[in-house]
This record gives sequence, C-alpha cells and structure tokens, in this order.
Amino acid sequence: MQGQMSNVTMPARSTDRAHRKQRDAVFRAIADPTRREILSILRGRQQTVGEIAGNFRMSRPAVSKHLRLLRSAGLVVTRQEGTSRHCGLNAKPLRAINDWLQDYERFWSESLQSLKSYMEEKS
Amino acid sequence: MNSKTGRADVVQNSDTIVQEIEIRQPAEEIFEAMTNPDELVKWWRVEGKFRVTTMESDFSVGGKWRMRLIGGRGNETVVTGQYREIVRPRLVVFTWVRETEDAIETQVRWDLSEKDGVTTVRVTHSGLTTEGLRKRNEGWPMILGLLQAYVEETK
Repeated sequence: MQGQMSNVTMPARSTDRAHRKQRDAVFRAIADPTRREILSILRGRQQTVGEIAGNFRMSRPAVSKHLRLLRSAGLVVTRQEGTSRHCGLNAKPLRAINDWLQDYERFWSESLQSLKSYMEEKS
Repeated sequence: MNSKTGRADVVQNSDTIVQEIEIRQPAEEIFEAMTNPDELVKWWRVEGKFRVTTMESDFSVGGKWRMRLIGGRGNETVVTGQYREIVRPRLVVFTWVRETEDAIETQVRWDLSEKDGVTTVRVTHSGLTTEGLRKRNEGWPMILGLLQAYVEETK
C-alpha cells in the first residue's frame, strides 16, 4: 500500500481510486462506536459471531451487519469452523489512516518551506 | 524531521498535525503573505507537486475562502473554508474542506510569533480523521493504539 503513496501532491487526490476507496471504507468502519467496540473485543482474541453479539444489547443481525462492514473494510477476517464462524482482527488497513496523515504532514511541511523561500528571497 | 519520528508524532497526537518553520522576516509581512490572496498564489506552490492557482477570500471572522490547487499531474483540488479567528499578525484559525473529495471539515490554525527578527510559523491541522469522530470519540484511543502497534511491528 505504501508504494502507491509516492509522488504525493494534495492528500488523497493523487492516490489511485482503489486506494482511496479502501481508505474511505476504513474511515467509515471506525467512525461508529459499536464497530470500534467490536475491534476492541477482537484485539484480545478471535471470537465467534455469537460471542461478539453477547457483548451487545442489539440483535444478532444488527451485530452481523456491523461485522460485515468491518469485513468489507478488511479490518475483520473470518474463518468458518464447523457451524460457527470465528472472527479475528486485521489491523493492516489502519495503515491507510497513517498514510493519510503523513500525506498532509508532507503537504504542510512543503508549503512552509515554500513560504520561507518566498519570504527570505524577497528581502 | 525524519519520516520515522514524523510518523510516530502523527500517531501519538491522534488526528492532529503540527508543522513549524522559522523565517527571517517580521511576522507582519509573513502574515500578509499568508492572508492576502494576491501574494498567497505567489508562494503556495511546490515545483512538480502542486500549485495554488486561485484564492478568493473574505478575510474576516465568519468570512469564507476558496482556493484551487493544481496537482503535479494536472489534477485539480478545490478547498474551501471559513475564518474562525483572526488576530493580526499572530493568528488565523479557519476551517478546511476539500470540496472535490469527501468534504470532511477539518481545522487549520496558523500561529506566528516573532523574536529578534525571526518569526516562527506553526501550522496545526486537526480533525483529520472522520467527521464526528471528535464528538463521539470513545474507542478512538484504542484505534490509535492498534495503529501504533501495527506500525511499530511493520517498521
């Protein structure tokens, strides 16, 4: 994922569509407190959908819906074992957030350099 | 700043970026260059990366601004916002929304402090993650913890 981030201009604008789509999916996934709670639960160990649902008051289908969103963002991976489905955490897509912050960091750093050159050459 | 410490800072400071530079010019003149649209378009460019082409600005508290940037590949980005605080020549706080993207409202703060003919310009860009995240931020430190752990693992 990192390789695609070279030649950055304005954050996000220069990244390819698929990459941006993934980043948006990650942002959307973690914007919700329930989904963050699920990630927190999975941080310790893998759990079945039933075990995860046991932590919440909402219905199991509602929890499943959140899990689907986390899965599509790549933050949760699942494995079928007999009749139960085990869910685990995959932190890798969170890297997209890091890249996004780093892009902006570079943008401002370069902007300030540019301001400095302009101001000091003026005198 | 090397990229490794830069990355660590970003993670630890959650969704805020801080950048600083020292310029050997009075704050008043730098402030003018940063806020006067005619001057701003002269410096806000980085060869081969991006260039601010137009800047429209109603420079007053509550006033709106809008600028166009052309990227290195000719791609255009429109950024807009509203001025929240202006203290000449020390401070400007404004919102920053990329119209052409996901339209997340973020905040930018410019601080200028002059001492012995040198002005330190600091940019603070905050609210960079998702909209509403700051309002319902429970669990957010956990996410950053996960990210930190992941980044350190893969360094």
